[in-house]
Amino acid sequence: MTDEPADAGVPDDDDPPPGPNGRRHAAPRSSDGTWRKVVRGVGQTLITLGVVVLLFVVYEVYVTDLFGGQKQAAATSELDEQWSEHASTGGTAVATVVETAQATAVVDASKQAVDPKSRKKNYDTSLGQGFAKIYVPAFGADYVFTIIEGTDPDDLYAGPGHYADTQYPGEQGNFSVAGHRVSKGSPFNDLGLLASCDALVIETQDDWFVYRVLPMADEVATWSATAHPHCSGVEPQSGQYAQVTGRTIVDPSDYAVVLPVPGVASTEVPDKAERLITLTTCHPQFSDAERMIIHGILVKSYAKAPGFLPPELKETS
Amino acid sequence: MYTWIWRHLPGPTAVKLLETLVLFLAVVALLFFVVFPWLEPYLPFDRVSVNQ
Repeated sequence: MTDEPADAGVPDDDDPPPGPNGRRHAAPRSSDGTWRKVVRGVGQTLITLGVVVLLFVVYEVYVTDLFGGQKQAAATSELDEQWSEHASTGGTAVATVVETAQATAVVDASKQAVDPKSRKKNYDTSLGQGFAKIYVPAFGADYVFTIIEGTDPDDLYAGPGHYADTQYPGEQGNFSVAGHRVSKGSPFNDLGLLASCDALVIETQDDWFVYRVLPMADEVATWSATAHPHCSGVEPQSGQYAQVTGRTIVDPSDYAVVLPVPGVASTEVPDKAERLITLTTCHPQFSDAERMIIHGILVKSYAKAPGFLPPELKETS
Repeated sequence: MYTWIWRHLPGPTAVKLLETLVLFLAVVALLFFVVFPWLEPYLPFDRVSVNQ
């Protein structure tokens, strides 16, 4: 290695015949040396570029996970603080719930169940801030992400992002959330593994909303709600919702999937609109040529109470 | 380029190796913290939302 530079740079005056294996006795240098330098330079550049590309893969798949994890943790602690502050200053909903819980002394799921119609969104959101949490028990008991308001790259870096012009959890219409499938915490890495009736549980300031994935397109024809113990409330959709199924793959420009009635290009929420959830991520994995879309429907909601967790969170089959 | 750098690093071989490592890590840090975050939005890998 050490004698290489001298070899490469300094042309020899005498032209010794090429030795069998010694560089020192290599061919004439005047023009060969230049070529050698050029070839070496090109080779080194290509190797360097290759290493840079590999480093980019490492960055994308591992390093952004670290950064994203930090941002998600910050958003979560901020939201937790906000919620505990709200609980201690006695938001009306929480206050009544606390009374109920104390009166019965047992936190019974059926007692906490509420009609989503009676629940009003009583929190503000601002772009880039967390406002809800998503639990997907099918992905494991520890699967929870704070949902950030907005779908800009910065919002999505911190966690799943809510399409700000779509509805909020529990509301009529479509609560739509985008999330990264690869990199930046990969919250939606496993959307492809969701089965129909899997629970998507959303926690807001005062409420729990339990959505379930709609029947898949190939299950609609032979659907039977009793086939799965958790399927009550999940039915193939009809009418203007007929094309809404559990999972679809669409073009990136198909914004209608996040609108109140998925597939209908109108931002208006019809009178008898369903309460839906929509999750979007990139597809296929490691590409963004298409989008994977998951649709779910609200089947239950609970008022929050100290010590109460929705029984659906235990569905970690 | 690499031979030029190697020639200009001071010290005996062991020290040169250490210096090479430091240089490499500096370049990696520059890529990870500055170049890649800037580059990423222009690459078609991880756009997850649908748009009008």
